[in-house]
Amino acid sequence: MAKWQILPLRVDDAPTSMAIDEALLTLNSEGKLSNTIRFWRWLPSAVSLGCFQSLEREVDLEVARRRGVDVVRRITGGGAVFHDHDGELTYSVVCNQRDVPNDIVESYKLICGGLVEGFGQLGIMAEFKPVNDVQANGRKISGSAQTRRWGSVLQHGTILISPDVRLMFELLKVSPEKISDKFIASAFERVTTLERELGQRTKIEEVRQAMATGFEKVLKIELLQEELGEELLALSAKLRPKYASNEWLRKR
Amino acid sequence: MEITERVFLKYAELKAPKGVIKVELEISDGAISTISLSGDFFLYPEEAIEDLERTLVGVKAEKESLLAAVVKFYRSTKVVTPMLEPEHWAEAILKAAKG
Repeated sequence: MAKWQILPLRVDDAPTSMAIDEALLTLNSEGKLSNTIRFWRWLPSAVSLGCFQSLEREVDLEVARRRGVDVVRRITGGGAVFHDHDGELTYSVVCNQRDVPNDIVESYKLICGGLVEGFGQLGIMAEFKPVNDVQANGRKISGSAQTRRWGSVLQHGTILISPDVRLMFELLKVSPEKISDKFIASAFERVTTLERELGQRTKIEEVRQAMATGFEKVLKIELLQEELGEELLALSAKLRPKYASNEWLRKR
Repeated sequence: MEITERVFLKYAELKAPKGVIKVELEISDGAISTISLSGDFFLYPEEAIEDLERTLVGVKAEKESLLAAVVKFYRSTKVVTPMLEPEHWAEAILKAAKG
């Protein structure tokens, strides 16, 4: 059985986390880092923006400023995500492109299958919804985004545990219309959380364990606990300023 | 002074099967003079979005020309956009051009 490494859960600011993911992808593609899975949280809470999204059109920057929510642009496509420090867990999978299907939707399906398996362990019947979502009872409970560079794949995504959904929809400009209770109610119908599905809060560590086991099962791998190496930390530190820069944030 | 409205900024959004395509453009003498594409779609490789924008500059703002330009771009670059077809780009751009 193939052995991948799992890194300890970290809690970082947005630019640091983005830099670690890019560093993982780079080092994996250079053959300097084995396939890796990690789980992490955001402090402060942040909105991550897809690499093609327009900052001004997608995020209410005034709400973000007022509520102390950071905003960062990802290197992956897809939509804006609110990463609530208290109610959200993010995962990253980094591997050689040979280890997942070449077809992009198929590779999403495989990796998201680990999440589906993990949700199952937590007592939730979930299913993959192409291209990049996992749904429970027809509502999105996890969204992922993937990029491929230099022969390696990075897929990261959000697992909604118990986020502040009202704040989520205040931050994200889902519609140009003013946020009304009616609008929040309809948007809320398209998103769900572990808390909502289970009727109780699940501990982040329990979610992490379930998802790690889910990935092991679906990817047919054994996860070995490792620390972040010096090379990874050094490259992350080097890449961090890009993600903290206005130039990158305001690219589109 | 006579005002000739030949260049103006236009914007439109198109809900595609996967994601929303947002188009901001300027038309000059019937052709695209500047264009910016954004949205929550996926496009591989990511850098190709800038090539797509460059390709579209100078293209006549009408359906056949836009579609031909995007189809040619897909063929020459091997770009991959899950659940998004050249028709969606052309439609979104046309929608913006029409104002």
